[in-house]
Amino acid sequence: MSIASPKSEIRNPQSEILSARGLHKHYRMGDEDLHVLRGIELTVKHGEWLAVLGASGSGKSTMLHLLGGLDRPDQASEGQVLFGGRNIFQLGNGELDRYRNRDVGFVFQFYHLLPEFTALENVMMAAMIGRPAWRWFGVRAAVRQRAEELLKRLGLGERLRHRPNRLSGGERQRVAIARALVNQPALLLADEPTGNLDAETGRQILDVFGDLHQRGQTIVMVTHDERIAAAADRRLRLEAGRMGGRDNRDEHG
Amino acid sequence: MYKLVIILRYLRRKLTPMFAALAVTLCSAMVIIVISIMGGFLENMRSAARTLEGDIIIQGDLYGFPHYEALIAELDAMPQVVAATANIKSYGLVNISDMIQTVEVVGIEPQGMEKVVHYRDTLYWTREHVLDDPIAPEDYPDAATRETYRAMRKNRAQVDYTKLGMAMAAPAELRAQEGPALSGIVMGIHVSPYARRYPDGRYDVIDSQLLTELTLTLLPVTSKGTLLEPAARKLVLVNEFKTGLYAIDANRVYIPFNVMQKMLGMDAHADFDPDTGQPTGRTNPARATTVILRGRDGVPLPALKEAVTAKVEDFAKRHRNMRLPRVMTWEEKHATFLGAVLKEKFLVTILFAFISIVAVVMIAVIFYMIVLEKTRDIGVLRAIGASWRGIMGIFLGYGLAIGVVGAFLGFWLAAAVVWNINGIQTFLTDVFGVTIWNPEVYYFDQIPNRMNPTEVTVILAVAVVASVLGSVIPAVLAAMLNPVEALRYE
Repeated sequence: MSIASPKSEIRNPQSEILSARGLHKHYRMGDEDLHVLRGIELTVKHGEWLAVLGASGSGKSTMLHLLGGLDRPDQASEGQVLFGGRNIFQLGNGELDRYRNRDVGFVFQFYHLLPEFTALENVMMAAMIGRPAWRWFGVRAAVRQRAEELLKRLGLGERLRHRPNRLSGGERQRVAIARALVNQPALLLADEPTGNLDAETGRQILDVFGDLHQRGQTIVMVTHDERIAAAADRRLRLEAGRMGGRDNRDEHG
Repeated sequence: MYKLVIILRYLRRKLTPMFAALAVTLCSAMVIIVISIMGGFLENMRSAARTLEGDIIIQGDLYGFPHYEALIAELDAMPQVVAATANIKSYGLVNISDMIQTVEVVGIEPQGMEKVVHYRDTLYWTREHVLDDPIAPEDYPDAATRETYRAMRKNRAQVDYTKLGMAMAAPAELRAQEGPALSGIVMGIHVSPYARRYPDGRYDVIDSQLLTELTLTLLPVTSKGTLLEPAARKLVLVNEFKTGLYAIDANRVYIPFNVMQKMLGMDAHADFDPDTGQPTGRTNPARATTVILRGRDGVPLPALKEAVTAKVEDFAKRHRNMRLPRVMTWEEKHATFLGAVLKEKFLVTILFAFISIVAVVMIAVIFYMIVLEKTRDIGVLRAIGASWRGIMGIFLGYGLAIGVVGAFLGFWLAAAVVWNINGIQTFLTDVFGVTIWNPEVYYFDQIPNRMNPTEVTVILAVAVVASVLGSVIPAVLAAMLNPVEALRYE
């Protein structure tokens, strides 16, 4: 059984879309035992743009991976990520795969596009993965149209047939954003999306996020850069493995 | 669906999998070539052996056994038997244009041989001169024609093939003016020291000794095994035969059964008392050394042998002084011969199968490299929703695709080599002067060039399965990759 899609209740700014409870994560680095996350508590509301600030190695990416179902918290911690009322860590493998495919979209610092595929194919791939062949052929044309529209909206109308190695950093990141959006996820998870870009290109990418936010897309972005975080409408600070900052909407005013 | 798309794209864009496919191609082609040639070799031997000896050989000793006509009549009456014929086998010396050499001499009745082993099909120059006895004077060219013929052979530039053809096909034109009628002899195509095989596998009549006189000497033996006075006789070479089995084509000659019988004293003749030298008044019956027979199609060889053995034993009981001949199938007669080749085929197959294991290991290594190279992509695919099963499916499918491509190319490579093997050998001989297939060492003058569909199918299937097996471990490793670590992989 699939987890309830929040799309129907989306855009209700009062309701919460995702919350994290008591997330702990240990890593072993050689002989050293790193306690990266020490009980993360977090709530994300529909339609908000949340920025989580933290220094390098503070566990921002680890937290984002947990929220996106790409990693699991320590078994002993009983940490939860609730999405649509269900703890994603109690989902079966197939349901968790589906959660990553349909309910969230990842944008990474290093874009992570598949080098053998064109911009358009990279975007369509995310839609193809969630569907068996017989269902794919029914929706292929619609998906293609949507992928083209997304790429055009992101200014890549002339770049559809280009492979990643012929795209600039900013263009690659926009392809990655289109890929994250192609399945119309409830939640966009961005890990230092401008971290690998020059200031001007980074600004353009932020504008894209701003635009998406305007259209009602819920975004969780982690960054180490105060200026980038300033674009979000709520900021939290991750310190020593905990959410240290207050929910300080006025902080960036 | 995405798995197939990714597999096809990886296959097209990457050089590494092409090396894996090449390994599969070479290995499967190698095994197919070896099995086809060895199998063809075995098949050639089987059919050649059968052509030479029929299905069942009733073999007496060099002295021979009597009452063979009665035995043949009884064998012919058996429902399992198509035809039987008597042979005399012995050894002799033949003088071909003053070159003397030993030969295996077989006395045959051409019509009987035709029924049992399709003898006529092995005749090389013409299917007309099957070995009639005696050669009618009009069949035998006069001295002048023979002289012309020799002259033509000496000077190849003046060869008149039409005339030569007439000598074989229209003997009436070359009516003999004089000379006694001589019996014919049919030799294996390589018996003559002047025989020459051209690169295209043909023989030229101009190199042959056709229609020349040869002297054949045979050694008659007594029932005690002692030698009698050698019997020599002039014969005319009327034709040559080619079984394709070099050992036979270079050693065997056929002469008329009754001529050989007379030369060896095996025909019916008055009995003499060995002590007094006086006739005893009795008649010694005619003898043959061998009776060969062809079974009816569909009768299994062991059953045929059993029936014939019973018949021969019963026959020997009813006839006085009949030494019991041995009954063998053609497979038993050539067991050492066939067994050796069978073993060779088996060993070579095993050898190449081991080499193919190297290909599997190579595929595993290449795939492991591909998985390492694609680690980040695996992380990305997992992040956008691909399951671990899906990832495993990609790499297993990739192995399958490489196996299929490799096997397909392997088949065509093998086919190209096997079907042109004799051309390749000729090319190598012409260009580098190396003869890989020396017909004097091997049994056949041509390298077999047939592929057995069943064997080929099995080999290709094994190649595909091996490729998939080679990709199993890397595929499992890829599926077990932690997506977060995969994304961080540098």
